[in-house]
Amino acid sequence: MDWSEVIGPGALVVLISSGVAFAMPMALAAVGETVAERSGVLNLGLEGMLLSGAFVAFVVAYYVGSVALGTAAGIAIGVVLGALMAFLSVTLKTEQIINGIAIVLLATGLTAFLFEKIFGGEQRPTITGLSDVEIPLLASIPGIGEILFDQNVLFYVSFALAIGVAILLARTRFGLAVRAVGESPAAADAMAVSVGRIRWMALLICGGMAGLGGAVLVLGQLNLFETNVSGGRGWIAIALVIFGRWNPLLVLGGAFLFGFTNALQIRVQAVSGGISSSFPYEVFAALPYLVTLAVMVAATVLARRDAMPAALGVPFRKEAGA
Amino acid sequence: MGIAEPAAPPESRTGRVEMHGVEKRFGRTVALAGVDFDLEENEIHALLGENGAGKTTLMNVLYGLIRPDAGSISIGGSPIRPRNPEDAIEAGVGMVHQHFKLVPTLTVAENMVLGERGGPMLSRRRLASISAQLSELGERYGLEVDPRARVWQLSVGEQQRVEILRALYRKAKILILDEPTATLTPIEIERMFPKLRLLADEGASIVFITHHLEEVVRWADRITVLRHGERVGTLAPRETTTPELARMMVGRDVTLMRVVAGERILADDDEGAPAAGKPATDGGIREVLAVDGLNARGDRGVPALRDLSFSVAAGEILAIAGVEGNGQPELEEALFGLRHAKAGTVELEGRDLTRAEPDERLRAGLALVPSDRYRRGVIRDLTVAENLVLDRIGDPPFSTRRGIDRSAVSEHARALISKYSIQVSGPEQRAGTLSGGNAQRLVLARTLSRELRCLIAAQPTRGLDVGAIEFVWEQLAAARDRGVAIVLISTDLDEVISLADRCSVIYRGRFVASWAREELDHEQLGLAMGGAANGAANRDRERARTEEVG
Amino acid sequence: MTAAAAAVGRLPLESRRVKAIAASLAAVLLALIVGGLLMMIAGGEPISAYGALIDGAIGSPAALGQTLKLVVPFTIIGLGLALAFRGRVYNIGAEGQMFMGALAGGALAILLPVGFGPLLIALAIAAGVLGGAAWGSIVGVLRARWGVNEVITSLLLNFVAILGFTYVVRRPLREPGAPDLQGRAIQESAALPTIPDLYIHIGIFAAIALVPIAAWVIGRTSFGFRVSMLGYNAEAAQTAGVRSRRMIIQLMLISGGLAGLAGAFQILGVAGRLDPGISQGYGFTAIVVALLGRLSAIGVLLAAVFVAILQSGGQAMSVIEGLPYAIVLAIPGVFVVFLLIADRLARG
Repeated sequence: MDWSEVIGPGALVVLISSGVAFAMPMALAAVGETVAERSGVLNLGLEGMLLSGAFVAFVVAYYVGSVALGTAAGIAIGVVLGALMAFLSVTLKTEQIINGIAIVLLATGLTAFLFEKIFGGEQRPTITGLSDVEIPLLASIPGIGEILFDQNVLFYVSFALAIGVAILLARTRFGLAVRAVGESPAAADAMAVSVGRIRWMALLICGGMAGLGGAVLVLGQLNLFETNVSGGRGWIAIALVIFGRWNPLLVLGGAFLFGFTNALQIRVQAVSGGISSSFPYEVFAALPYLVTLAVMVAATVLARRDAMPAALGVPFRKEAGA
Repeated sequence: MGIAEPAAPPESRTGRVEMHGVEKRFGRTVALAGVDFDLEENEIHALLGENGAGKTTLMNVLYGLIRPDAGSISIGGSPIRPRNPEDAIEAGVGMVHQHFKLVPTLTVAENMVLGERGGPMLSRRRLASISAQLSELGERYGLEVDPRARVWQLSVGEQQRVEILRALYRKAKILILDEPTATLTPIEIERMFPKLRLLADEGASIVFITHHLEEVVRWADRITVLRHGERVGTLAPRETTTPELARMMVGRDVTLMRVVAGERILADDDEGAPAAGKPATDGGIREVLAVDGLNARGDRGVPALRDLSFSVAAGEILAIAGVEGNGQPELEEALFGLRHAKAGTVELEGRDLTRAEPDERLRAGLALVPSDRYRRGVIRDLTVAENLVLDRIGDPPFSTRRGIDRSAVSEHARALISKYSIQVSGPEQRAGTLSGGNAQRLVLARTLSRELRCLIAAQPTRGLDVGAIEFVWEQLAAARDRGVAIVLISTDLDEVISLADRCSVIYRGRFVASWAREELDHEQLGLAMGGAANGAANRDRERARTEEVG
Repeated sequence: MTAAAAAVGRLPLESRRVKAIAASLAAVLLALIVGGLLMMIAGGEPISAYGALIDGAIGSPAALGQTLKLVVPFTIIGLGLALAFRGRVYNIGAEGQMFMGALAGGALAILLPVGFGPLLIALAIAAGVLGGAAWGSIVGVLRARWGVNEVITSLLLNFVAILGFTYVVRRPLREPGAPDLQGRAIQESAALPTIPDLYIHIGIFAAIALVPIAAWVIGRTSFGFRVSMLGYNAEAAQTAGVRSRRMIIQLMLISGGLAGLAGAFQILGVAGRLDPGISQGYGFTAIVVALLGRLSAIGVLLAAVFVAILQSGGQAMSVIEGLPYAIVLAIPGVFVVFLLIADRLARG
């Protein structure tokens, strides 16, 4: 095979550009998950939220014909599932891991049912995708311009939102409360911060971000829906949070790095002859999961443990009495 | 209390507090049975009582953490009914909890902002101005601390300053300090009270909760004594004496007082003939536990134990004294195999256990009474009977080839429940419902009914009431007399003095001083806990005095 | 201690058990109602649809056999997961472990030149258990040694396992000349005997036999007790001498091994060849089964039967009533959420 087709000048820009676009759904979900985990809730329902967001966004966009409305609907269903997670984990204080798994099962089942109901036997209904919007001047910057400023509208909105959430966490009172509640809820509680309310809000944000991620996946990237279209992106996003040491900007960076690796993998696979090649394409297909696994293990093993919010996964109960 | 009017506006607010007939029940136990309490401006008011007397509950009511069942509160003359800390802070109340309510990963300045109302954004500039404000406050009241430091980097004394600063930052006129001296070294205590006095002179009203008589007599303007949820009386220090206060506090002439005076209550020799294992005949010392050059890291990866070496003989209690935060949890864990030892060795009767798992240590005759009894000692969701066999469920008679023998488990439980007077409705009661004293009795019952060579008892009486404390001490002494080697890790000076055969003081993970029982001295011990080595004790005391003056 | 106090102490345990059962039943009812609503949304009539479903699941020996074919993997995997979940080891990689067991067992059943059927079957089954256990042990070691979150690793390894299986079926062990993706058939002597009339392989006996064994392990052995200790309070368990790291690995080996066993049964007793279609997400369904069964052995069996009836009857329902099959996939998810809520409310 010819490596210049993969990483030669020109090819590389395309590669990075598609990698960044590919990463966006995961990046959004991962940044949302960062907020939830920093507040102390391990939301394993992310995959379900992403999938539901994708489905609802697709259905609305398909029938109403508006990408904007579809995106809004995707966010909305994510928020609803975020509320369900919050109700179970924060209000009822049931085991967070099981709540998350339940939400994934629920979303998988319901989307499969509704998909079959709405689209009959159609395997892969499609919609017209968004066209890319060049941002004047910026897009003409060589390299960077093509990568960052020649994408579709959703990409820009998403990117801005992801950065926005990072700022929310680092530079607002709410963000401070989120960090405090995830680290030592009892202290936050004593300072009149409502642990329950902050965790609820963090989960609503997380759900919304994951729902948006789903919308971006089907409306801005694939332009189609199929059963289980999310394909494990939500789980990868959770791994990215660990990889990014619960720092939203590092998580974002990790997502893009991951997207790039994946784009590279697809490109190499294509260049090397795909399914007919003597080299098993399954290796390429498994690569994203293996890479995720490897970096997550590496991040857990090598990095200092204390990056993890101390109260992660632990329901908060007020100390009773004296 | 049917009054729900808002608190007086901040400008007219004063620090006078009146509480009338405050009642609070938790389930069947009465925590407060109609308590009256009043606090004047410019006053330092001590709230004295045993563990469980209701001191903290009363103050938690004032701070809005607990809603009373009955009673009324007024601040600055206007009635108030704080439903949460926010209301209380609004009314000018600030509280410094015994276990600090600070977020360790945030900076000092960030901890100030937490829970504060204000615009949504939190710019760097805003934090910088808060830092400046804190530095100014700190300078004025002698509470200096770096506002940009992260809390986990600060010493316990500094963290307490942060707590006080936070109350001041929130414009508190009423300052509640819950057991402020419990985690401080004697030197730090000597430094703290003059600062409180300064604050009171500037117009604050201060309540401090304690059970240490000497502090009360020395520093308080007035003293209110609580017992079993009732007020016994309020008096001025000059009207009273420490023995009288002690009597008011406990309700009888206390054996504990003898203990405090340094007399051992527990050296009863008619406990029975020395049991096997005690070197009664040869008179020689039989070393049981030998620790050499032990090093371990804390949770954040910083060294917590540095080159600790000691040994304990059969029938001997070695007390390891020290103020909280000097490596005690790490020591407890490293000795029992719950924490990896970076270097050094742990030997039990000549057998190397340095790398041994807890179950191997248990089998070798080492056991642990953990400092955090609800985290490590009992499993709340299991029954009392099950908790009593946690460490031996796989052994006969509890497990046979056909599986667990439930009748053996419950028979065993019945025997231990009566032997250790654990107050339960039956062996099937859930352990999570036990009081602290009963939970500790359960842990002791399980641990002491093993075949023991050496026992590590970590903070065995923390948070217990007098009855339970006496029980624990008796049990430890009895075990010692049976020939068990005991390592007593304790922050409680009285406990150390009444039980120790030898004592070493741990400070920042090192031993800074060691004494035999005869040389043990309250003051020396106190100084060493602040980091002064044996010889340097006097020098340090001098320094403390000069700083107090200056 | 008075008799009255003793009564107070004992009462909560009894009434708690009653409440828990009531909560389960309430959750079943609610989930079925929601299922009925979904059927109505889809334009069906719930009563007749459920009728068709039940009939399709147990109405004839053949239908019953189809249902039992699902009961086998659901029960076997569900038991392993119940045990692991009791120790708070959240293995959600049973799907992948099952495929790895299927691959190991199937490859042996295809390639091993052993003429004697029972021996070949025994070896293939052993290989299946080992394959699943080995795959599970990766997760266990990562969690025990470095504290890597097992939920994510086990999930990610599912994808890898399935891709690995696909590769083998597509390349080295492909059925020559087959029109679509199909692995080679196993040797005839390796096929599990089936019960005549019911068309169900004898793995069903293994599944049923495992239930009392699991119940005994969970409730009556010191191992089961220690697993609960670990689940309730890992630190206290460790202090009382439970080796938590070793136990985490053991739990992954057991739950992975059982998933591998189910995978081997699917190849030897159902598909008869290396077939990517041996699982319709059974490894995930088994999570539902374990949770619905409240992590008890008998509960797992009941839940497995319940879910199997839903899924196998769902086919008949969708054909007869013209309703989407996916309804029966949605019901368990709804069910779990209701159960979590009902359970919590029952505990107060």
